[in-house]
Amino acid sequence: MVKRGLDTHKTVTQGEWLEARKHLLTQEKEFTRLRDRLSQQRRELPWVKVEKNYVFEGPRGKETLADLFEGRSQLVVYHFMFAPDWEEGCRSCSFWADGFNAIDLHLNQRDVTLVAISRGPIEKLEAFKRRMGWNFKWLSSGNNDFNYDYQVSFTPEALENEVEYNYGKQKTDSSDLPGVSVFYQDSKGNLFHTYSAYSRGIDILNPAYNYLDLVPKGRDEAELEWPMAWLRYHDQYEDRSGNTKREAR
Amino acid sequence: MTTHMTGTREEWLAARLELLEAEKELTRRSDELARRRQELPWVRVDKEYRFETDEGSASLADLFKGRSQLLVYHFMFGPDYTAGCPSCSSIADGFNGVVIHLANHDVTLSAVSRAPLAKLRGYKQRMGWTFPWASSFGTDFNFDFNVSFTEEQQRQGRIDYNYQRGGHAMDMTPVPEPVAELAAMSGTDAATYGRDRPGLSAFVLQDGIVYHTYSTYVRGVDGLWGMYQWLDRAPKGRNETGPWFRRHDEYGN
Repeated sequence: MVKRGLDTHKTVTQGEWLEARKHLLTQEKEFTRLRDRLSQQRRELPWVKVEKNYVFEGPRGKETLADLFEGRSQLVVYHFMFAPDWEEGCRSCSFWADGFNAIDLHLNQRDVTLVAISRGPIEKLEAFKRRMGWNFKWLSSGNNDFNYDYQVSFTPEALENEVEYNYGKQKTDSSDLPGVSVFYQDSKGNLFHTYSAYSRGIDILNPAYNYLDLVPKGRDEAELEWPMAWLRYHDQYEDRSGNTKREAR
Repeated sequence: MTTHMTGTREEWLAARLELLEAEKELTRRSDELARRRQELPWVRVDKEYRFETDEGSASLADLFKGRSQLLVYHFMFGPDYTAGCPSCSSIADGFNGVVIHLANHDVTLSAVSRAPLAKLRGYKQRMGWTFPWASSFGTDFNFDFNVSFTEEQQRQGRIDYNYQRGGHAMDMTPVPEPVAELAAMSGTDAATYGRDRPGLSAFVLQDGIVYHTYSTYVRGVDGLWGMYQWLDRAPKGRNETGPWFRRHDEYGN
């Protein structure tokens, strides 16, 4: 159903639209400049040496954090929510993964390796990855502290109180939450943690939300029970083709 | 060995918290901009465009495929190109996987290019993409939405792109090296290459009438270019001096 707001939307001539659009363009350009400046500030953050030796389970066996760089100097980790006792990865994280699955190849050309890491056992990660048809590398941190140290997993005891997430205290029922962490490896093999973002800090990494921010209805989630209530795994939509006519809601 | 400043976890955290405030402020601004986009007035589209699609000849209303919102990615693939533009191809790598989610949230995302449908289909198959891609070959569509230009416009310096005249690198003489390089990768010369430009336009369908709501170009599509948002979070940033990207089947390793 089309919302009433859209039914009564103001329509104008091309000339009038252009005037309004150019006004908005000035604000958009200012936003782009601010975003560039923020990216610069992000790179100016001090780095923290990683002293702990993390070993992950990967598709080809054990790999250390240093191994994950695959010879490149920058590593981006997507903290994919998949707790050991879950049978499927988190639905929202799967949505994010649908967005980054095909671009890790491009990032590799800029000296960046992108991997996903979850606590779930590697067999479960591999099976779910096959089902979803993804290609990115996905590792299990089920046997180390990695997820806890980078504040995306919480022990049952911790969940009884407020947990530390997105640089603040909050109450959650979920043992795992999403995030992105960035690491650097210098020429001597020293590893540094440079950056982590959580919650809406990873919004911009989901292309779908960037597209929704341009359409008349926007994200259109305000009236739902929770923002992503509309979301399904890409193989569980009734309309899988993106082509057939949508049933009226 | 790194010369970058290193610190303790506490020092890092203090700097990170400061940055977090700036990031939150940017997110709020982004939300505010999205709201202002939604407030833009609409323009009724009266012209009858005919596109060629996998399902046959289609009107602009048909491209909505039963949904009420349509996003057109103006994919640079002119009739004389032998392959789609490499930058647009990397953008498409980013949206190909999420088109199905948008489709289930009342948004059809379709690419539209001037090349004949057979060329688009061949290239789409090569790239392994599944999003809808319509040909606007022989129509005014691309010209009306300021993403294609005539040789005459080019000759006379009358190219209005991204809401200004002649401001883009593709309008410069001599042609900058990156433009020539991307043109060669698309199997054409710089002038022919530059007659098509990238962009994104939004439309809404209401009571059978199509309205144009929004168009964006140049760095306005930057946020949609998935890989750059990841690079913006890496220590070296975008780390580029020219076009480094290739089509995903053209990288050496």
